[in-house]
Amino acid sequence: MDMITIPAVNMTPILPEIFLSVLAMALLLINVFIPSGQKSYLGYISFVGVVAAGVLVGAGWGAPVESFSGSVVQDNFATFFKIIFLLSAGLAILISDQYMEREGCNHGELYPLILFTVVGMMLMAAGTDLMTIFLGLEVMSVALYVLAGFNRANLKSNEAGLKYFLLGSFSTGFLLYGMALTYGATGTTRIAKIAAIVGQMTVPSANIMLVAGMLLMLTGFAFKVAAAPFHMWTPDVYEGAPTPMTAFMSAGPKAAGFAALLRIFLVALPTLQVEWSQLLWVLAVLTMTVGNITALRQDNIKRMLAYSSIAHAGYALVGFAAGNGTGAAGILFYMLSYTFMNIGAFAVIILIGKKGEANGTVMDFAGLGFKQPALAVAMSVFLFSLAGIPPTAGFIGKFYLFSSAVQKGYIWLAVIGVLNSAASVYYYLRVMVYMYMKEPTEDFEWTRITPPIALSLLISVAGTLIPGIVPSVILQFAEQAVKLI
Amino acid sequence: MEQIIFYILAGVAVIGTILAITEKHPVHAILYLVTSLFSIAVIFYLLTAPLVAAFEVILYAGAIMVLFLFVIMMLDLGHPEKGIAPQWRQWLPALALAGVSIASLAAVIVSRHASAAAAAAPAPAPAPALPIREVARHLFQDHGLAVELVSLQLLFALVGALYLGKQSKGGETK
Repeated sequence: MDMITIPAVNMTPILPEIFLSVLAMALLLINVFIPSGQKSYLGYISFVGVVAAGVLVGAGWGAPVESFSGSVVQDNFATFFKIIFLLSAGLAILISDQYMEREGCNHGELYPLILFTVVGMMLMAAGTDLMTIFLGLEVMSVALYVLAGFNRANLKSNEAGLKYFLLGSFSTGFLLYGMALTYGATGTTRIAKIAAIVGQMTVPSANIMLVAGMLLMLTGFAFKVAAAPFHMWTPDVYEGAPTPMTAFMSAGPKAAGFAALLRIFLVALPTLQVEWSQLLWVLAVLTMTVGNITALRQDNIKRMLAYSSIAHAGYALVGFAAGNGTGAAGILFYMLSYTFMNIGAFAVIILIGKKGEANGTVMDFAGLGFKQPALAVAMSVFLFSLAGIPPTAGFIGKFYLFSSAVQKGYIWLAVIGVLNSAASVYYYLRVMVYMYMKEPTEDFEWTRITPPIALSLLISVAGTLIPGIVPSVILQFAEQAVKLI
Repeated sequence: MEQIIFYILAGVAVIGTILAITEKHPVHAILYLVTSLFSIAVIFYLLTAPLVAAFEVILYAGAIMVLFLFVIMMLDLGHPEKGIAPQWRQWLPALALAGVSIASLAAVIVSRHASAAAAAAPAPAPAPALPIREVARHLFQDHGLAVELVSLQLLFALVGALYLGKQSKGGETK
């Protein structure tokens, strides 16, 4: 009886993923032996693991390798995104431990689940096969559903987890249907082969099955990146989920969604660009406007940042609608800087908050500038960057994204983007007005800043300011990363 | 002959699915669903995909159905009188969406037929049955990573379910 020969596989491209998976499983085992109350050690181990994985990922820069008969690849594009995922996970781990301790849910399962989410995101960015991308997305989502509902004694957290799970599964259905139709139209799931087959079609847009597949895939991913009109889950899930996980969710998975979108649409379906860029034009305008206008009316700061994260997905979609090298590099740069500024802002929210998710409104920032000047300055940096004011990374990112739209001739798209950005200044600066111009409330009791969260704040401030002052270094990396596409 | 069997089975599958949705008693609904799944399994067999037919029976009609019944029994849902009929506000959008998706599916099929008729292509020869060996080769040679990923994902789905389902002793203050 002759056996099926398994081809020799090169493990290099998925080495960081293997490392993190093994670490996650090891942590699950170690968890049993660590008494409750000292689970923070697991966090320290996983932070070191994330840094080590970052070294492994970084070593692969500029050395493209393909493996598993073309279903996964190590290229600069994947490497850049993997670094973003690791940064978001590392920062999330740093800000978790104080919050989880306070809310009384510092359970050991947290850290393996975060690491596992990262494995899924990495495979989404590195996958060159629709199957790999889909499974990466599922790996990420399943862990995220649990993380959103991680505070299991809190009803709001339960609600967030359940809502995310139901709507997420629903959107996964759309995505899978789209992938199945694409497979039906082209006969392959390998992205390079899809590109070749679609390239040979005389009029690809006349192939209804392919176009339907493309639309359904776009729907599925638009849900994951929280683009309007598929954004309804975002405010409730972001508000209910434990704050560090909200921070993580808004940075990593959003970037992962964009990584998969960019790879599928720019590599597999560039011949349909005329069709999808029109759609993305509308999607970008809708997402920016809905996000920003709704954010104006929010008092709960987590809800406000949820709508702001919808708006930021819209800015990134502007670059995607342009669909050129500048736009793609702009998305990469923006996702990186968004990771720093958003997680930084959430770290400050954690420090303002009290047990039971109390102190979660914009008004609770009153007087922070007098009581804790350093913290207020950090928060101001993040808010300036979110609003897109120089010299922060947020400004450079937006500048790049909007100029890609102008290059492509989408002047109106850029104009709408700038107007939206101007409107957003109102709700970001409102927080600053409270910090510096309002009297603090009487019972202002300060939460102490633990070293991990201080470190995360330091990294975030540096990550927000340095790319804003010397953007060329990171932009060069981003441009090299999208060269392969 | 095959065509007649196909139409009978397709009818059973569609009617079974409709009844599974409209039936108020969950256990009855599941039984209708099983009927529908069995006829789909035979349709797969007719389409020269015996392996998929076997999977359909083992996984869907077998394992997943047992899981459904188990959950229904565990949550004690077998009381149809407790069921609440959805309001028109709830089913109207669903109906509209279903209409859109059926219409687009019909458009795909019609356009396929139209283009096939225009090309006057000869009827495609029946595909040879896919041997299991071929499926296995495809699975483990081309999609080896996917197989590994699925197993990893199941493990962590289990971890997550276990975590969320676990009641902690003495509240959450430990």
